[in-house]
Amino acid sequence: MPDNIILEMKQIEITFPGVKALDQVDFTLRKGEVHSLLGENGAGKSTLIKCLTGVNHKDAGQIILDGVEINPQSPEQAMEMGISTVFQEINLCPNLTVAENIFIGRQPMKRGRTIDWKTMNRRADELMERFHLDIDVTRPLSFYSTAIQQMVSIARAVDVKAKILILDEPTSSLDDNEVKLLFDVMRDLREEGMGIIFITHFLDQVYEISDRMTILRNGHLIGSYGIHDLNKVQLVTEMIGKDIDVIFNLKRADVKADAAYMLEAEHIGIPGKVKDISVNIKEGELLGFAGLLGSGRTETAEMLFGAEKTAKGSIRKKGKDVSLKNPHDAIMEKIAFCPEDRKLDGIIGDLSIRENIMLAVQARRGFLHPMSRSEQEKLADKYIKALGIATPDAEKKIAELSGGNQQKVILARWMATEPDVLILDEPTRGIDVGAKAEIQRLMLEMCGDGVSVIFISSELDEIIRCSNRIVIMRDREKVAEVDGATCTQQNILNIIAEGSVAGKDKEAGV
Amino acid sequence: MERTARKRQSLLSRIMNPKYIMVYATIGIFLIIYIFGAINYGDSGFLTLRTLVISMFTENAYYGISAVGMTMVLITGGIDLSVGAVSSLTGMLIAYGVTNMNLHPLLCLAFAFAVGIGLGALMGAAIHYLNVPPFIMTLTGMFLTRGICSLISRESIEIHNDLIDALAGWKIYIKWWNEDGEWAKIKPICYINFNLLLFIIMIIVGTILLQKTRFGRNIYAIGGNEQSAKLMGLPVARTKIIVYAFNGFCSVLAGFAYVLYVKSGWNLALQGGELEVITCAVIGGTLMTGGVGYMVGTLFGVLLKTAIPTLITFNGNLLSWWGKIATGALLLLFIFIQRIVVLYSDRKKQE
Repeated sequence: MPDNIILEMKQIEITFPGVKALDQVDFTLRKGEVHSLLGENGAGKSTLIKCLTGVNHKDAGQIILDGVEINPQSPEQAMEMGISTVFQEINLCPNLTVAENIFIGRQPMKRGRTIDWKTMNRRADELMERFHLDIDVTRPLSFYSTAIQQMVSIARAVDVKAKILILDEPTSSLDDNEVKLLFDVMRDLREEGMGIIFITHFLDQVYEISDRMTILRNGHLIGSYGIHDLNKVQLVTEMIGKDIDVIFNLKRADVKADAAYMLEAEHIGIPGKVKDISVNIKEGELLGFAGLLGSGRTETAEMLFGAEKTAKGSIRKKGKDVSLKNPHDAIMEKIAFCPEDRKLDGIIGDLSIRENIMLAVQARRGFLHPMSRSEQEKLADKYIKALGIATPDAEKKIAELSGGNQQKVILARWMATEPDVLILDEPTRGIDVGAKAEIQRLMLEMCGDGVSVIFISSELDEIIRCSNRIVIMRDREKVAEVDGATCTQQNILNIIAEGSVAGKDKEAGV
Repeated sequence: MERTARKRQSLLSRIMNPKYIMVYATIGIFLIIYIFGAINYGDSGFLTLRTLVISMFTENAYYGISAVGMTMVLITGGIDLSVGAVSSLTGMLIAYGVTNMNLHPLLCLAFAFAVGIGLGALMGAAIHYLNVPPFIMTLTGMFLTRGICSLISRESIEIHNDLIDALAGWKIYIKWWNEDGEWAKIKPICYINFNLLLFIIMIIVGTILLQKTRFGRNIYAIGGNEQSAKLMGLPVARTKIIVYAFNGFCSVLAGFAYVLYVKSGWNLALQGGELEVITCAVIGGTLMTGGVGYMVGTLFGVLLKTAIPTLITFNGNLLSWWGKIATGALLLLFIFIQRIVVLYSDRKKQE
């Protein structure tokens, strides 16, 4: 048995300023197995991987590869030792060709001096064939879609002939077929005796491909299990450390029968983006927006926030006509908006949590009325406590937080403005189960305080779980509006699939 | 798979590879300007203009030599503002050494190489390890070097040396097979001198380095995405330091070429030269943001930049500062083309 073990990490400890990222974590990988590394965001998965690949350095512990203790100081060294990694973000060079991206640093050479481009391209072709990718390997990488780029980065890692292959969320940008393809390749490699560490948020994929799994929580090792030792519910429970039912036991917002309309939009639209839409939302109501990406959900939200100017129609707030020409108008009307891509539009990575939280409040007050430092601190502390943001203090840079905590900070930013209407575009994307439930609970709490929340999400189950009413969008228009308490996922899927005619019938029926 | 193989082998598809667009743009614009000039101003058309462009080219070769190193620096995503000053310092070291100290010019040149390469490596190391922006670091290098030039002498120093004179006077005349069945010099006289030869050798050396060695490909990788290059296990630090050191080497070589051209050293020589050099590279299709650039492009960039003042000389009615305006317009045009190419490929990817 022991000679079957290819990698052993013992009692690994890593401390970041203010946080113990890993505390006495053990991890064992055998030859010819796919081993899933599981845990919520911030549990220490990435830190463990980075320790193994020489990006972060351990403060204590041992790494034993093939019976020899190693201490990689850089990804370069780790690669030489036979540890190959595919990171979540594509770490390739967009300006180089596909073939070069696969072979750079170890190009085949002619007479030991000059690069043999022909052989390199031929070998890249062969490798792409193995991945069933029919692409021209002499084109720059930027010429191809993200999914293909991801496959190329996996091809590179595979071709290095490593002993250990680490896949850090490789499937997040792949479609089902591509995932299947990747799994086929992973199975081949497993047959060949490679040890594969697989990190993903998709639990189905864990059960489909893994042999064993190791669970981390808050930098601690929870345990290592065979894939059949735990079922999905047990697994999630172990990951978040709480009973899953308690977390999902959320109550829909209670909208009073006589609640007034908070926001009414009639026949608003932008040529080429949204055809024509009318929506309304009552005080304390949670209105869900369902539909595929590109169905006009985000654009509608942006019109309600003034980020996109509506070409026609009217918007009324509390019965009064308002003109929302830009986000500033909307902020003055107490409408808040958390955009979809938090890295791009939301957080300002180099600023502290405190500064990120006070941004919107400050914008509302105008720059002539600056908040005092103590006011800011009070505000930040209040929301860090209320939202359970995991941080040693308010002065930590937001970029250093995990995804779920960053999302909470953005939520705090808008909650601090005490809005009447809060629009959240995909607030739960890319964060783990526990943090998702946390965000949902916060949304519902705000509804309870009389705030109207518009919740856009691609995940139907969470829309159904929280919403009072659900607007279903398709092809840039609203095709139906259903009741959140009575509809099912299948209902919504049918409406999205069938389109407007059937959808409108259903709307009449509800 | 067969389809893939055929797709790639088709010559047209290989030639039309989008990564070459910028180089094609440079060559295309050069040809347009050249043909325009040939039709309008060439008394006997092409020939006359060709000879003039080549001769002008000969006189500008020192910019070209420097542009070889600059192209590499730009591909890494950096910039080097010290090249003009380093070239000038080379001139000062050779002039002072030969005239005031009676040293052999090659000894002085060797010393200049040591200084130029050392300074380049030092700046490269500071840029990489201390994370100083290349603009600031090399600006510092420029002031320091320029200051040292003035320390050596504030007056122009003439050089009288047999070797320098011999190299400066060395020429290969371009000849043609005339009606009498003899090789005869083309009229008006057209020749390749030592500087142009150096430039062409450097372009070839640069091309081989960039296209045929791992070092060269690492330069592109760093310009494409430095973080990725690091994570792919490439020697980022070493590559960057060597690139700046190599650029120092090119600057000294350019300075030597300039000495051959003016036969003197002057502390204020080539002021603003660094910008001329950067212009050559950018007009040649090198992206200022890094990751894209070819030596062939730089070669045509120098040609293009030479062709404009030539045309203005030919016209005779325009004042010479129109050359600056034309260069500015050209630079603007290329920046637009670059943006359009980037935006176009982004949109293509979204589809």
